[in-house]
Amino acid sequence: MADRSQKIDLPQGTLDLLILKALALEPQHGWAISDRIQQISKDALRVQQGSLYPALHRLERRGWIKAEWGASDNNRRAKFYALTRSGRKQLDAQAEAWRTLTAAVALLLDTA
Amino acid sequence: MRADLGHRLRALFRRDTVERELDEELRLHLEHEIEKRLAAGMGRDEAIRQAHLALGGFDQIREAHRDARGISFVESVLQDLRYGGRTMRRAPLFAMTAVATIALSTAAIATVLTLAHTLFVQRLPVQRPSELVAVSGTRIRWNPERLAVREAERVRILGPVSYPDYVSFRDRTRTLSGLAAHYPTAPLFVTANGNVKEINGAAVSANFFRLLGLEPVLGRFFHEPEDQVPDRDRVAVISSNLWRTWFAASPDAVGSHLRINSVDFTIVGIAASDFVGTTPVPIEVYIPTMMLRVGYRWCDDALAADCSVLQMIGRLAPGQTVASAAAEMPTLMPASWLHARAGENSGVAVTDVRGMSEDDDEPRLVAMLAAVAFLLLAVCCANLAGLSTAQSAARAGEFAIRLSLGAGARRVVRQVSTEWLMVGAAGGIGGVVLSRLFIGMLAAAFFTVDDEGHPLRYLFGQPPAIAAITIGAALVAALVISVGPALRVARRTGVSDATPRSTAARRIPGAWLLGVQAAAAVAMVSVAALLAAGARTMVTGRNYDATHLAVLRVRPRLLKYPPERAQRFQRDVVQRLAAVPSVESVSMVGVGTVLNGGATAIALPSWTGQQVRARFNEIGPDYFATLQTPLISGREFDAGDVVSSPHVAVVNQTLAARLWPDGQALGATLLVSKTPHRVVGIVEDIRLGSRAALPESWVYTPFWQNPAEIDSRLAIRIAGDPAAMLPALVREVNRVDPDVPISEAITMPIQLEGLMRPARIGAAFVGYTAALAVLLTGIGLFGVLSFAVARRTREIGIRMALGAARARIVRAIVRDGLLVVGSGAVAGIGAAQAATRLVTHLLYGSAAADWLYYVAAAALVVIVGASACIAPARRAAGVEPAVALRSD
Repeated sequence: MADRSQKIDLPQGTLDLLILKALALEPQHGWAISDRIQQISKDALRVQQGSLYPALHRLERRGWIKAEWGASDNNRRAKFYALTRSGRKQLDAQAEAWRTLTAAVALLLDTA
Repeated sequence: MRADLGHRLRALFRRDTVERELDEELRLHLEHEIEKRLAAGMGRDEAIRQAHLALGGFDQIREAHRDARGISFVESVLQDLRYGGRTMRRAPLFAMTAVATIALSTAAIATVLTLAHTLFVQRLPVQRPSELVAVSGTRIRWNPERLAVREAERVRILGPVSYPDYVSFRDRTRTLSGLAAHYPTAPLFVTANGNVKEINGAAVSANFFRLLGLEPVLGRFFHEPEDQVPDRDRVAVISSNLWRTWFAASPDAVGSHLRINSVDFTIVGIAASDFVGTTPVPIEVYIPTMMLRVGYRWCDDALAADCSVLQMIGRLAPGQTVASAAAEMPTLMPASWLHARAGENSGVAVTDVRGMSEDDDEPRLVAMLAAVAFLLLAVCCANLAGLSTAQSAARAGEFAIRLSLGAGARRVVRQVSTEWLMVGAAGGIGGVVLSRLFIGMLAAAFFTVDDEGHPLRYLFGQPPAIAAITIGAALVAALVISVGPALRVARRTGVSDATPRSTAARRIPGAWLLGVQAAAAVAMVSVAALLAAGARTMVTGRNYDATHLAVLRVRPRLLKYPPERAQRFQRDVVQRLAAVPSVESVSMVGVGTVLNGGATAIALPSWTGQQVRARFNEIGPDYFATLQTPLISGREFDAGDVVSSPHVAVVNQTLAARLWPDGQALGATLLVSKTPHRVVGIVEDIRLGSRAALPESWVYTPFWQNPAEIDSRLAIRIAGDPAAMLPALVREVNRVDPDVPISEAITMPIQLEGLMRPARIGAAFVGYTAALAVLLTGIGLFGVLSFAVARRTREIGIRMALGAARARIVRAIVRDGLLVVGSGAVAGIGAAQAATRLVTHLLYGSAAADWLYYVAAAALVVIVGASACIAPARRAAGVEPAVALRSD
């Protein structure tokens, strides 16, 4: 049952990027964020709950996301996280950096 | 950045809300996980189990979340504080003992610091006091015992100046914006509004009040023209105190009259109560310097160039410093100072105006007290370190659980330190509060009356810095104490792991700390007892007995009585007093106090021009009988020694041995102030100096052979309590002449207590620390032994099961305890001897019996130690083998 990918430690900052990306479309609550990351990555990436919430609060503290209480799908009170303006900028910058990095790493791996 | 700060603050101050929200989020998350699994067709129980597994421990998430919130440090400190509070509530006796110990010992530090601040540092309560400087003449101190003094051995002392000297500095200085003159300790005989009393007054230059920036409560201070013509302007300013007590604070006081030394003055103003003078003797009346002849009777002309009586206080001009003023002043010195004789002003000094100390020995005293206070804090640290070792061993279980639950060792160490810091902070604050009380007691006991019975007023101030230093010292002590237990936690080894070993030192953890405490206690007890005994020696013993002596100082000089009239008065007074029932004998001195006279120059006729200084007094008949000083040979003065009879002298043993080593003193001729006197008696030394002082040479001449005598101090031996007789004695003097001021009516023991102030302060202070040190040693031994017994319950049980007698177990415990305290006490005797040498200058009387004090102090500490052993030993004896062996 345990995914192999789960064992791979996400590089520092990757989780932040994933969270920002997951929030790019619309505000989500915590579980929905992890569910979305899991779905889109086709279960390759599974976010440890133990790191999700600390990460959310770290991002909130940096002012990249903001939290608001709202009602979830099953009509429960839930804390919804939304990208802020600086969070969106951050997402663009980080995504660009990620692409550059992965492209470079891929290039290196292919040619070597 | 603002978002960050807001977030952190919210996390910190709305901690509960934040935590609740997090819990809610996590619960929601868990529900979603469960629903997801239910939707996938999983059974409900399995879904819940799996969801919990996937989510991981709530607590870990919370902890990680707290770290992410970035308030973890502050919050965990708060948590440590809460834990600490809980620990203290759980062991309140231990916490209270620790806090009280630190409070009592830091109170000693705060008290000494406040004393030091008041005596040496504090500025006058006037405007911009840091600009004030004292300008004084400097002179070479007479060395009474030596003929030739090398330049290096000469001690320059500060001295007052004459009025013309003052004017020469005042009119020419550029570094000072103003220079005032004052004579702050003028004994004035004042009559006003039906009151008659000798009170302390001051003659001040008209600019004195303006220079200090003082404002009158009522009326005005002196105008410049009122201080320009000698004897003309009879104006006075009175203190708020006198205004309240003599004039009921009536506004009519201004403009009313006041007789000062039989001269009429008009009150022009009332001084405020916050400034009472530049010395501890509060000033009750101010008169202009031009009226100095009324206030000062020792010179023929108090305003002449040869009468040095005034002190000078100046205010630095903008941009000037003490150094620049000190550089300028010698250039302004009066020409006469350049060829000054010994004992006259020959230089000038500029000093900061700070503190109220008038005694050159006080810095040494306060340094000694400070050393004792810090030693006490060290003893307290050692004590609490020992107790905390026992306590932390008892808490080893608690720490082990916290460590195994995942708390970092660093976190637990920090908790231990936090607990001790809480104790330290509470103790330090307690110490500051307590020191206020101690200062009050110290002030009341030692700083309210001088040795002539006159009121003193020291403004004891404790600036916030002293409170901060005290609390800081308490915190440092707490940290030092926490090092031991913290290290033990960090090593994750509880004392409970240690197996009991055979030697006493190992049986009692921190035995050496207890030994050191016992040694310090013995030293402190010895020193306190020696100081107290020394101060008492000054009242009785040392070749006189002051216990039953009363002293009256009668001063016809204040009324300008001519010598004939004054001497007639003195004769009548002695006759009348001698006739009072329960008066055993009456005598008198003409110079200084009854025991402590002045000095004079003496020589043998065979010497050519040489003279030496000797202590000197002019005494009435029966002086030595009144003091009960034994005569070695010859006679003392009697009614036959008068102006018309041959000049006679009595010398003390030291002088006799010095000048006539072959023992031919009696009948020899001695020049006293160049006048030949025949030595008619030799008396034992009246030793007033401390052990550090050398015996002094004394020469006595008859009071009635000096036709110039006016004032006297009468020594009256009473059968019974001299204090009870004082009113009757005063009445008797008043009957002879109601006008003559009696400026002192005091018992000799009280007067000597005043002189013994440093030794008595030392005795009280060291006595306090000694009592605390002894108590701490007892508590420390009790705590550590109790712990050792508790730890060895099993061992004791086994021994008993194997047939050891209870008495033997008790003996073993008591032996362990006594071995520690006993060896400490023996070491303490050595420490006490060393400490005694450090306070020789405060000790009076023979050192022959010192060893008795050391042994008694050691015995006291051992007895206290033995009593501390009793309860633990009984507990050990009460061990039931069957119960003990089942305990873990």
